[in-house]
Amino acid sequence: MSDHESSAEYPAHWGGGVSPLKVSYGKLFMWFFLISDALTFSAFLSAYGFMRHKFAGEWPIPSEVFHHFPFVHKELPLAYVGFMTFVLIMSSVTMVLAVEAGHRKNRKQVLTWMFLTIIGGFTFVGSQAWEWFHFITGTEAGHYKDLIIDGVLMKHQLVHGANLTYNEYGNSLFGAFFFFITGFHGFHVFSGVLINITIFIMVYRGIMDKRGHYEMVEKVGLYWHFVDLVWVFVFTFFYLL
Amino acid sequence: MEFHDDFPMYEFRDQHGEAEGKVQRKRLWRVFWYMLLITIFELGLGYYAATKGVDKIYLMVIFISLTILKAYFIVYSFMHLGHEVKPMKWIIIGPYTAFILYLVFMCTVTEGTYAKAHRISPPDTKYETPKEGASESAEAPKEKEAEHK
Repeated sequence: MSDHESSAEYPAHWGGGVSPLKVSYGKLFMWFFLISDALTFSAFLSAYGFMRHKFAGEWPIPSEVFHHFPFVHKELPLAYVGFMTFVLIMSSVTMVLAVEAGHRKNRKQVLTWMFLTIIGGFTFVGSQAWEWFHFITGTEAGHYKDLIIDGVLMKHQLVHGANLTYNEYGNSLFGAFFFFITGFHGFHVFSGVLINITIFIMVYRGIMDKRGHYEMVEKVGLYWHFVDLVWVFVFTFFYLL
Repeated sequence: MEFHDDFPMYEFRDQHGEAEGKVQRKRLWRVFWYMLLITIFELGLGYYAATKGVDKIYLMVIFISLTILKAYFIVYSFMHLGHEVKPMKWIIIGPYTAFILYLVFMCTVTEGTYAKAHRISPPDTKYETPKEGASESAEAPKEKEAEHK
């Protein structure tokens, strides 16, 4: 678009056809969407930090809550969430390799890397379902707690696992924050996988080759890296600290 | 041209050949190894802190700075923001950083301090483990009632 004839006829930045930010319309607005989404997650995480600071004494220690690992009957604190983080970082790398292959217009490599990304995404969502299952079921022994249910104080109740009203691990807000933050992130991963599958099919059918570029892969890649970025923060603030 | 929805806007300068691709792939894999090492270090430190016990403030400083480092790697390298033009970088990073600094200030300094100073302990927050046996767990509520009186 920016050939010499048109730039001679019109002043460079007012005649159209020039992108001052040197980024396409689609990518720019994907960035804007990601910023607004990042603000939502920031609000979640800062609310979490706020409440945790407020109820510092009775807040559960995450490494004592999340110590399950599949097929291992031993307490392995944070091992499973470490595995989940590894899966997500790995899928982020396969995604960026798909974008790189798209820059070279190598359709076959794009398909391979995107397929691996989709597998990684499904693995992550499945892992999160497993983690939710164990969080909701809780320990066999349970804990005794004083509960307020429908405004009635019930003292010394045996509680197993967690729900939105109360949980056995500590302050009742801990469960609510766990469900909302990891649930919102898991929903993002799930929709990211669906978008990845859509783009995978489009690449498979050769639509990108007809367009002459693989920009759609780049855009969905931006979204996928954002999901990874959010998980890095959730991992730190929810599991490590 | 059959497909022309976003065709005129795409920057073809992003496309490259095999040689440039090889260089880029090498760089991406290097970033991946950095991030993996950081994550393993974080997990090790978390495990060490859970078993041995480390001062909370050191953990917070180390974990948050490592997280920001990882976020920098993702945004700069994977999301390709490091290779955009300068105005683009500022448009993405600037407003977000301003807002986030405000949010952190509000949560930790002003509202956080107020909430901690003026909080009322709700009754559903104290709990005991039933491991010690029935006698222990039966005594616990009496103590609590005594506290209330």
